[in-house]
Amino acid sequence: MQGLRRYILRRLMTLVFVMWAILTLLFIVLKTLPGDPTAIFVDSNFAPEMIAAQRAAWGLDDPLLVQYGRYIWNMATFEFGQSFFQAVPVREIVFEKLLNTWAMVLPALVIAIVLGAVLGAMLGWRRGSRGEGTGVALLLALRSAPSFFVAILLLMLFAYQLRWLPSGGMVSLDNDGETFLARILTVDYLYHLILPGLVLLSREITTPALLLRSTMLEVRNSDFVDILRAKGLKERVVVTHAARNAMLPLVTDVAVSLALLFEGQVLLEIIFAWPGIGRELVTALNNLDYPIVQACFFLMALTILILNFIADLLYGLIDPRVTYT
Amino acid sequence: MSDNTLRVSRKWQMTRLFHTIMRYPSGSVAFAFLLVFFAMALIGPWVAPYGPFETIYDKDEMPIRLAAPSAQHWLGTTNHGVDVFSQLLWGARIALVVGVLSALGSVLLGTLIGLLAGYFSGIVDEIIMRFTDIAYGIPFLPFALVVISIVQPSIGLIIILVIAFLWRTTARVIRSQVLTLRERPFVLAARAAGLSELAILFRHVAPNVLPLSFLYVAIGVQAGVMSEAALSFLGFGDPNVMSWGLMLNDAFRAGAMRSAWWWVLPPGICLSILVISTFMVTRAYEELVNPRLRKR
Repeated sequence: MQGLRRYILRRLMTLVFVMWAILTLLFIVLKTLPGDPTAIFVDSNFAPEMIAAQRAAWGLDDPLLVQYGRYIWNMATFEFGQSFFQAVPVREIVFEKLLNTWAMVLPALVIAIVLGAVLGAMLGWRRGSRGEGTGVALLLALRSAPSFFVAILLLMLFAYQLRWLPSGGMVSLDNDGETFLARILTVDYLYHLILPGLVLLSREITTPALLLRSTMLEVRNSDFVDILRAKGLKERVVVTHAARNAMLPLVTDVAVSLALLFEGQVLLEIIFAWPGIGRELVTALNNLDYPIVQACFFLMALTILILNFIADLLYGLIDPRVTYT
Repeated sequence: MSDNTLRVSRKWQMTRLFHTIMRYPSGSVAFAFLLVFFAMALIGPWVAPYGPFETIYDKDEMPIRLAAPSAQHWLGTTNHGVDVFSQLLWGARIALVVGVLSALGSVLLGTLIGLLAGYFSGIVDEIIMRFTDIAYGIPFLPFALVVISIVQPSIGLIIILVIAFLWRTTARVIRSQVLTLRERPFVLAARAAGLSELAILFRHVAPNVLPLSFLYVAIGVQAGVMSEAALSFLGFGDPNVMSWGLMLNDAFRAGAMRSAWWWVLPPGICLSILVISTFMVTRAYEELVNPRLRKR
């Protein structure tokens, strides 16, 4: 247990260090690259004194080190400032967008894991059959296909040609749920979730399916499966026992693929006009709304780091063979 | 004499790679597709009937907007009257240039870093590995979007950004490989013979990790192609160079998904086939490098 606690502590310190490094990198990028974010705001007819006053008000005349310290402190306390375009604190905007992103990712991921695990177990059990060959080839193709084009294809077919499903958004315009929960506890939301959910599913199902297939191959040949058979258990029951043992590596894999998925989220949210954090980032970049850009980037990076952290921990907790030194 | 045997074995390896690829139906089909794309990239611009940004006018000096596929325009035209087939041919070159350059760059950088970190453990390794941690923590697409929105977007910048992210995987794998290699007897023998550490590293250790590095070239091509397409699709690509991502961006913004399938499908399908083919060939090569994956 002592070792475990030390391990967790060390991983947490790495997380904080990496987050700090990323924030510093972002600060350097925003400060040194040509193009002054404030120049966009200040109209050219402004008097020089007014520009100077505005710069002073924003604290842009302070020494760089002071600005840097203030920036790190604000990020660490989730104080993202005021949006340039909407007169609201950035915090109110971005946390809601982050929730919206989870509202797309989480349901699709849960279904993908369950379906993928079952599919993978079945494929692994029927090793060598023709069905297995085609199944694996299809999974590999889906895994490497650019999912944003898959999204475009589904959109063309189901939203524009057949007109069965909405082409974008998280809820209809007349759905005026006040809170996040009021909005997602509707059929309307599920209806909007189908298409982006299918795209996510098509990609995310491949990881658990391929993984479980290969672990199942190993488990299938192990002694305890023979014993179960010798006991006279039905084949279906034997598969369940084997699958449970093949499940271990899946847990960490899911957390890692969730982290990767967050990056691709930008594309899907743009295509399906989903009001998530990735789409907010692109909108803010196009509006040059830098407080929002910083906040979105920070939250995305933090989410990915935390997911990887959880993956590392689970890996150790589930597999007793892993020791912490 | 020894030079000669080396050449024979290398030739034999190439044959073996070719056979491994061809053993799968997916591998041979993928290989054929890759050849087609290389041909497109090589001769595309000379074969293309029109320029990638050239508006085509009819007899009455009106641009031929959103024309369906015909004998003149095999894949129709865009809303600005540009020939889609020509754009597609020009785009193949960009996709392959970005893919190959970013893959080579990232593998070169990653292999070098991995070699140094693995061979000179201790403080060098510690520092390099912290940088790898940071590289793994940065979300690529969001970071690239922020940088590109501040600097002028260009193909060169995109390649540099991809390299700045992709080296991390190669570096990690090569490092762990070097960690075991440096304990082998041949390294001791080289040291006993009086070779300098750098000479041992580059002349005796490096050749042993090269096959593994090449695997990451193939993976890198895929990542490079996809990154360029994704950035261009989001409108953050090089606006002066016609790529498949840019075609999709134009089509998406013009609402061609509702009306002009001939404008949306070709770039998307080419992109998908290129990426999937690279992946399939990579898998065959991986099986050759990593014997544990070989069919039992």
